[in-house]
Order: sequence, then structure tokens, then C-alpha cells
Amino acid sequence: MIEPVALEDFFITFFSSALIILAGASYALLFAWSKVNPVISIKIAAYISYAVLILSVAELTRAAQFHGYWLIISLVMVIGYFFAPIGIWHLCVKTHTDDLTPTTEEKR
Amino acid sequence: MNTNGLNKVMENTNAFCKKLLVCRNNFKTWVQLDSSNLSDGQQLSVKYFTVAVILFFAQILFGLLAATQFIYPSFLYEILDFSVNRMIHINAMIIWMLYGFIGCVYWFLEDESGTEIVGLKLGNIAFWVLTSAVTVVVLVYLLVQIGPGKDSSLWFINEGREYIEAPRWADIGIVVVMLIFFYNVVATFSKGKWSGIAGVLTLDLVALAGLYVAGMFYMTNITHEQYWWWWVIHLWVEATWEVLVGVIMAWSLMKLLGVRRKIIQTWLYIEVALMFGSGILGLGHHYFWIGTPEYWLTIGGFFSALEPIPLVAMVVHAVYDSGAHAFKNSNHPALAWIIAQAFGNFFGAGVWGFMHTLPQINMFTHGTQWSASHGHLAFFGAYATINIAFFYLAIQHWRGDVWMGGGSQNAWRWKWALGLLNGGVLGMTIALLIAGYEQSFIERAVEGSTWGGYFTAQNHPSFQSAMNWRLFFGGITFAGFILLVWDLLTIGKGETRKAPEIIES
Ligand code: HEM
Ligand code: HEM
Ligand SMILES: [Fe+2]
Repeated sequence: MIEPVALEDFFITFFSSALIILAGASYALLFAWSKVNPVISIKIAAYISYAVLILSVAELTRAAQFHGYWLIISLVMVIGYFFAPIGIWHLCVKTHTDDLTPTTEEKR
Repeated sequence: MNTNGLNKVMENTNAFCKKLLVCRNNFKTWVQLDSSNLSDGQQLSVKYFTVAVILFFAQILFGLLAATQFIYPSFLYEILDFSVNRMIHINAMIIWMLYGFIGCVYWFLEDESGTEIVGLKLGNIAFWVLTSAVTVVVLVYLLVQIGPGKDSSLWFINEGREYIEAPRWADIGIVVVMLIFFYNVVATFSKGKWSGIAGVLTLDLVALAGLYVAGMFYMTNITHEQYWWWWVIHLWVEATWEVLVGVIMAWSLMKLLGVRRKIIQTWLYIEVALMFGSGILGLGHHYFWIGTPEYWLTIGGFFSALEPIPLVAMVVHAVYDSGAHAFKNSNHPALAWIIAQAFGNFFGAGVWGFMHTLPQINMFTHGTQWSASHGHLAFFGAYATINIAFFYLAIQHWRGDVWMGGGSQNAWRWKWALGLLNGGVLGMTIALLIAGYEQSFIERAVEGSTWGGYFTAQNHPSFQSAMNWRLFFGGITFAGFILLVWDLLTIGKGETRKAPEIIES
């Protein structure tokens, strides 16, 4: 069953939900950038984004009163958003590796 | 009437027709577009684009009327009722976007298949049939605004299903026209050659057209009715339309930036998997409160929480790609609108969607201006943008592949159109967000969804000033649209530099 959000938690519910997606995306972007441009500060910024994401998930879990199997959503978000950018990055690279050596067939 | 009077009428009509012809010719000399630059399929597709732009205009016009009525409820009352303005506003949106998509597909069909469109004549007939049907439907909406809801009104006036309100005769016509379109796509690829893009496109069109049929049957039980109706709306915009845009984007990126086919197709397959994987059961977020079983709370909450993931992936990929390929680009407005699409889709659908998708909070926001806030940003960000990008691709080719990259004359026009349109819609989105927040808080949470609570919320100062701001930003959007049309008609005129031919790198 679900437990509706309490009145005083309205704002924080919207805020933390938005922040989850934004932090997830900026973690993914910064992660990719830190691979292209291996500067330590970018890497740190990426992990700060991820930390913001964890805090937001924790806050949403509290505000939306997740309990029982609803906690799976929180877990999936924490784990999913950690690995997704790594996967996205590998895809970006794998699909672009032979960028520099085009075959004639591909040129059509 | 005597013969004299009749003659007079004839003369007047004749004079009027002549005037129209002169105007048309003047317009043609002014725009200086040379249709010999276009292939036969592309000539068909620019017809679709033209009607799309006209319907986009209708959408904005009727949106402005509806927004004015929020502030002055007696404005045009019983002449053009709010219900009618709103209906035309959102139905015109669906139809113009579909026109745009069909135009895009006809545009690249020959190039992608390597052969001529098989049923070009049929496609042209279908275009005129569809366009006449749309005109008749809109005229009937305007002429018959109120009346009893009977079987005959379902068949001839409107079906009363939000977004897809066409009466049943037109529904059947739309299905026939779509079948012709589908035949053209499949037959052309079969005659020429198939590709990954072609395969995804064909399967997606089967789903897209099949879903439309689910929205054609009126049912007396409102829960059943809504259950199937959402199949069309949700599974269109959060699954099949997203994939269709993926296909259009894939082809455009290949041509515009020279991204390689292998990359594009791999991304397309992954996108399809993620989109369908989360979007199909994400349907559950519309089954929270309509009388469907309780398990939908869990299914809807869970899967729609996953829906932003493909959108995150797409933004990252867009940024990566534009970083890797930006310098080769000779059509800046198109690229700018493609970037606007990646961000608009991410914010409108991903961020705004997720903010109200969990049942724990949707139970308060459901059906408030919150939904309208999300609806405006998502539809504009995901689907208006990609169509506009394609209009720029088309006009470049129509002008004879002229340079539209850096240092073009009058570039301020497209830049301002881009800024005003995006700024206008974003402004409306924020205004509606404030209104929706206030509504869900006061009407729903504090006053417990009572009739009195509804009025308290509607009369609240923050709601009312939000409605004023929405109209203001609607005006900005309108200004952006006018500038966009002006720019589309004039961009590249007098440009002599050719765009370098882009080959896949
Ligand atoms: C481009 C993609 C999308 C478009 C064009 C879109 C558009 C819309 C529109 C127009 C509505 C209002 C429907 C009505 O008239 O009642 C709506 C409702 C809704 N959308 Fe989306 N949407 C998109 C993606 C998403 C995503 C990804 C999510 C979730 C993460 C989402 C969550 C919702 C929810 C929960 C509602 C129901 C609001 C209510 O209860 O009133 N949408 N959407
Ligand atoms: C001049 C600009 C515009 C104005 C003034 C305007 C105004 C309005 C108004 C008054 C409504 C009815 C809301 C209600 O029933 O409470 C509406 C609904 C809607 N409009 Fe617009 N609109 C504009 C532009 C757009 C654009 C550019 C799009 C998308 C491309 C759009 C998409 C929608 C959608 C999807 C709905 C239904 C939302 C829902 O019921 O949840 N509008 N608009
Ligand atoms: Fe949905």
C-alpha cells in the first residue's frame, strides 16, 4: 500500500525528485567528460553529483514514505544511476572506436 | 435571382480568384524557392510540412484564446467556448506533429531506400484527402459547439476523446490514409533496400497505427473507456513517438553531422529497448485513479521511475556527438533545434514527468495545472523541436543546399525565433507549475478535493497571477512563431555559398 506524501513534505518531494534526475544526468555527463579529459577535479565533480543523487534518493524515500517493496525503487535508483553512466560511456566509446578508420562500405 | 445579379456574382468571384492568383504568384516570386531542387518524394513532404506549420499556427492561436478565457471567462462566451478552443488547441497539436512526422519520413524515404517512392500518386491523393478531412472536422467543431451526445454526434461531430477527438468518419479516413502511408514505406523499402533504420521505422509504424485503432471504440463504462484511451496517448508519446523521433534523428544526424550509420543504428536499437522496456508498463501511471486494480500503483510507480533513464542516455550522447562533430555542420539552425530537442525531451518528459509520477504525490497533482505544465514542456521539447529542426533541413535543400552555418546573413532571426519560442514555452511551464503547486496544495491536500476547495484554489492570487503570466508567455511564444515562419521563408535567400557535401565520417 502507499502512504500519501504529508502536507509539509510537498515541496521537498518535488524538489528531491527533480534533483535525482538532474544529479543523475550531471553525474553521467561529468563522468563521460572526465574520461575524455582526465582531470581530477572533473572526476571529483562527477562523484559529488552522485553523492547529491544519493542524498536526494534518501530524502525522497523519506518524504514519499516508501516502505516494504517500495524501497526497491530507491535501491534501483541508487544502483542504476551509478552503473548507467558507465554503461552509457562504454557505448559512446565502443560505437565510436573505428570513427577514424571508415571503411568504404560504410561511406555508401 | 435574375441573370443580372448572377452575372454580378460571377464577376465578383472571378475578380476574387484572379486577385488570389496574383497574390499567390507574388508570393512565389518573393520566396524564390526552386522546387526542381526537390525529388518527387520531397515535393510531397514539403506539402505535409506546409500544412503542419499552418496547424501549428492554429494551435497557438486557439491556445491564446483559451488562455485569455482563463482570465476573462466571459470572453467569446457562447461564440467560441473554452471547450472548443481547448479541443482545437490540442487536436491541432497532435495533427500538426503527425503531419510533420509523415513529411519527415517521405523526405528521407527515397534516400534511405535508394529508390523512388512506389505509390507516389497514391501518397499525393492521400495528402489531399487527409487535408480536406481535417478542414471539414475543424469547421464542424467551430459550427456545432454544443448539442446532445448521441451516436450520430459520435459519427459526425466529435468522439469526445481528449487529443484525438475526430468524429468516427474521419477516424476511419485517417486509418485509410495511414495504411496508404504505411504501404508506401514498406513497398518502397522492399523495392529498394532495407536497413536497420528502415526496420525500426516499419515496426514502429505498425505499433503507432495499431494503437490508434484502440482509441476508436466508444465504451459506456468510463474506466474501460479511459483504459484504452490511454493506450493511444501514453503509448504514443512515451513509446512509439519517441522511437519515431529516434529514427528521424538518426537519419538527420547522419546527413547533418556525418555520424556513421553503425553508431547511429546501435544507439537506435538500445534506445528502442530502453524506451519500450520502461515506457510500455509506465502506462500504469495513468491507471492510479481511474478505477483500475490497485496493482497498477506499483507497476506504474516502478516503471515510470525508470522512464527518465533513456532520456539521460540521450542527452549524454547528444552532448558527446555534438562535441565530436560540431565543426562539420553547415546548418546551424537545424543543429540548434536538435540540441533543443535533447534538452527539451530530458526536462519536459524526464524531469517534469518524474516529479509527479509516483502515486504518493500524483494523488494530489493528478489533473491539476501540474499536468498541463508537464504537457506543454514535454510536447514542445520532445516533438515540436524535432519538427522545426527538420523544417530547417528541408528549406536548406529546397534552396539548393546553400550554406546555413556560421556567418550567414540575418542569422539573428533564427536565433531570436529559437530564444522566443523556447523562452515562451518555458515561461508558460513555470507559470503552470506554480498554479499546479498551489492547486494540489490548497484544493487537494488542505481542502480534501472538495468542490469548495476547487474554488478556493481557482480564486487564489497566486493561481490568478500565474494565469496572467501564462498568457504573457503565450504572447512571447506567438512572437517566436511569427519570427520562425518569416525566417523559414527567407533564410538562405541570396546565399551563394554552397554547403559542403557531408559524407559519413
Ligand atoms: C515526450 C514524452 C511525454 C509527453 C509528450 C508527455 C505528455 C503528457 C501530457 C500531455 C499529459 C497530460 C495528459 C492529460 O491530458 O491528462 C501527461 C500526463 C502525465 N505524464 Fe507525461 N509525457 C511524456 C513523458 C512522461 C514521462 C517520461 C513521465 C514519467 C517519468 C510522465 C509522467 C506523466 C504522468 C504521471 C502524467 C499524469 C498526470 C496526471 O495524473 O494528471 N510523462 N503527459
Ligand atoms: C501561445 C502559446 C500557448 C498558450 C497560450 C496555450 C494555452 C493552453 C491552455 C489555456 C490550455 C488548456 C489548459 C487547461 O485545460 O487547463 C492548454 C492545453 C495544452 N497545451 Fe497549450 N498553449 C500554448 C502553446 C502550446 C504549445 C506550443 C504546446 C506544445 C507543443 C501546447 C500543448 C498543450 C497541451 C499538451 C495541453 C493539454 C494539457 C493538459 O490538459 O494536461 N500548448 N494550452
Ligand atoms: Fe504517460
